[in-house]
Amino acid sequence: MYQLFTPIFFSCCSGDALALPRVTCPNHPDAILVEDYRAGDMICPECGLVVGDRVIDVGSEWRTFSNEKALKDPSRVGDAQNPLLNGGDLTTMISKGTGAASFDEFGNSKYQNRRTMSSSDRAMLNAFKEISTMADRINLPRNIIDRTNNLFKQVYEQKSLKGRANDAIASACLYIACRQEGVPRTFKEICAVSRISKKEIGRCFKLILKALETSVDLITTGDFMSRFCSNLGLPKQVQMAATFIARKAVELDLVPGRSPISVAAAAIYMASQASAEKKTQKEIGDIAGVADVTIRQSYRLIYPRAAELFPPDFKFDTPVDKLPQL
Amino acid sequence: GPGIQLPGFHGGSSSWPSAGRSGIIPQLQNIVSTVNLGCPLNLKFIALQARNAEYNPKRFAAVIMRIRDPRTTALIFSSGKMVCTGAKSEEQSRLAARKYARVVQKLGFPARFLDFKIQNMVASCDVCFPIRLEGLVLTHQQFSSYEPELFPGLIYRMVKPRIVLLIFVSGKVVLTGAKDRAEIYEAFENIYPILRGFRKQ
Repeated sequence: MYQLFTPIFFSCCSGDALALPRVTCPNHPDAILVEDYRAGDMICPECGLVVGDRVIDVGSEWRTFSNEKALKDPSRVGDAQNPLLNGGDLTTMISKGTGAASFDEFGNSKYQNRRTMSSSDRAMLNAFKEISTMADRINLPRNIIDRTNNLFKQVYEQKSLKGRANDAIASACLYIACRQEGVPRTFKEICAVSRISKKEIGRCFKLILKALETSVDLITTGDFMSRFCSNLGLPKQVQMAATFIARKAVELDLVPGRSPISVAAAAIYMASQASAEKKTQKEIGDIAGVADVTIRQSYRLIYPRAAELFPPDFKFDTPVDKLPQL
Repeated sequence: GPGIQLPGFHGGSSSWPSAGRSGIIPQLQNIVSTVNLGCPLNLKFIALQARNAEYNPKRFAAVIMRIRDPRTTALIFSSGKMVCTGAKSEEQSRLAARKYARVVQKLGFPARFLDFKIQNMVASCDVCFPIRLEGLVLTHQQFSSYEPELFPGLIYRMVKPRIVLLIFVSGKVVLTGAKDRAEIYEAFENIYPILRGFRKQ
C-alpha cells in the first residue's frame, strides 16, 4: 500500500473572518467533494482527483471485534459518543494502576479517583440503562427506546417532576413512547417489566403529558389484537375475526364505557370459541391482563348479537348458536 | 323567599329565560369546610369524654368525631383547627361545624368559631343522554384526559371557572373543586352545550 502525496489547495470564503479553509479541487472549485471512508480520502466527482488525504475517521474503533476471548479491550477511543442525550461527555478517567509503583505503603492504590464522571448526568445515564433493561424484557425496537430516551431527557431537563422516582418517570416515558409510535402497551404490560406500581405510572403519565404539553391518541381494540393473539398462538384467521368482532362491537355501541382491552379480550374469546383453537377465559385473561370476570361481563354484552359481529367470510368450527353462553 | 339563584335567572324578571339554560340543576353531594376553634385542645381528653369520637395517634394525629344530624364527620386537631366533611349544603356544613364546636366547648375548652370557610364542594347531575367520550377528548384535548385503563370517566379540567368535571358514558356528571355554589352552576351551564354536541345517536 502506498500513499499519494497530493498537494492540497485551500480557498477561503471572502468577507468572512472566521471561515475555516475549505478544501476544494484545484480544477473544479465548485464541485462538492465525495468522502471515501475506506481510504480516508476526499475525491472530486468531476475529475476523480484525490483532493484531501488522511481524513480523520469518525466511525467506530476498527480494532474492536466481537471476540469472546478478548481479555483486554484494544479499543483506543472508548464507547461511541451519545451527543443527542449527554451534552458532550469529554471527561477523562484514570484507571487503576498496574505494577508496584501505583500502590502506597498500606497496599491502597495511590490514585483513587476514578469515580466522578459527568455527575450531573449520572441519574440520566442510570435511567437510560433502566429504560434499556425494561425495553429489552418486552423486546421493544430501537426506535421506541430512542423516543423514550428523548422524552426522559426533556422531562428531566424541565425539572417539573424532579421529586418523582426516576424509575417511575422512565416507565411512564416508555408507555408514552409506545403510544406515540402507534404500538401501545397496556399499563399492566409496563408494570410487568418495571418495579413501579400501575397507580404511580399512571400518575407520572398524566404529569408528563401536562409538563411536555403533548397528548396521545386514544387506544383502540385493534392495537392489541396481533400481540394478544400471537401470544395465545391463535392462527391469523382467528386474529382477523377477533379484530373484526371488536371493531364491530364498538361501532354498534354494544359495550359502552368498557375498556378497549376488555372488549378486545372478549372478542378474542368469542372468535377462538367459534374456531378450532378454543381458549379459556383464564388463558386470555392471563395474556391480556384482565380478570376473567371482566371478560365474562363484556362477553355477555356482545353475545346477543354475535351473528352480526363475525366477518362474513369466517369459517365456523362451532356455529354461532353453539357458542358458550355465560 | 328568593332561595337559590339559578344561572340565567335575572332577578327582577318574572319569567325564567328558557333559551341557553339546560334546565338541569346539579345536586350538592359533599361540602368540606374548615374552622378554627381558637384554642389548643387535648385530643386524648376529648376522645375519652366525647361520644362518637375515635383517636388513633399512631395512624392519624386528629380526633375523628361524627354527629348524626346533619350527618357529618369532623377531624379535630390539637392546634384547635377542625375540618368538617359530609354536609349536603353550605348551611348544614356551618351548622354541623357549630355543633362540633359546641361539643368541644361543653368539654371545657374555650372554643370559638373563627374563620369558617368552605374549601370544596362536590355536586353531581345527570344529562339523561349517553355521551361520546372519544369525540369529546379529540376536540377538547387540552382540557380533557380520558384513559379507560386508568378511570372509566373523562376528566375535564375547566379553566373558567376552575372546576374539575368527571363525565361518564352514561351521562352522569360529577363536578368538584368549587368554593361556591355559583361556580358549580356556571361550570355545568358551560359544559352542557358541549355535551349535547357529543350525544350518542
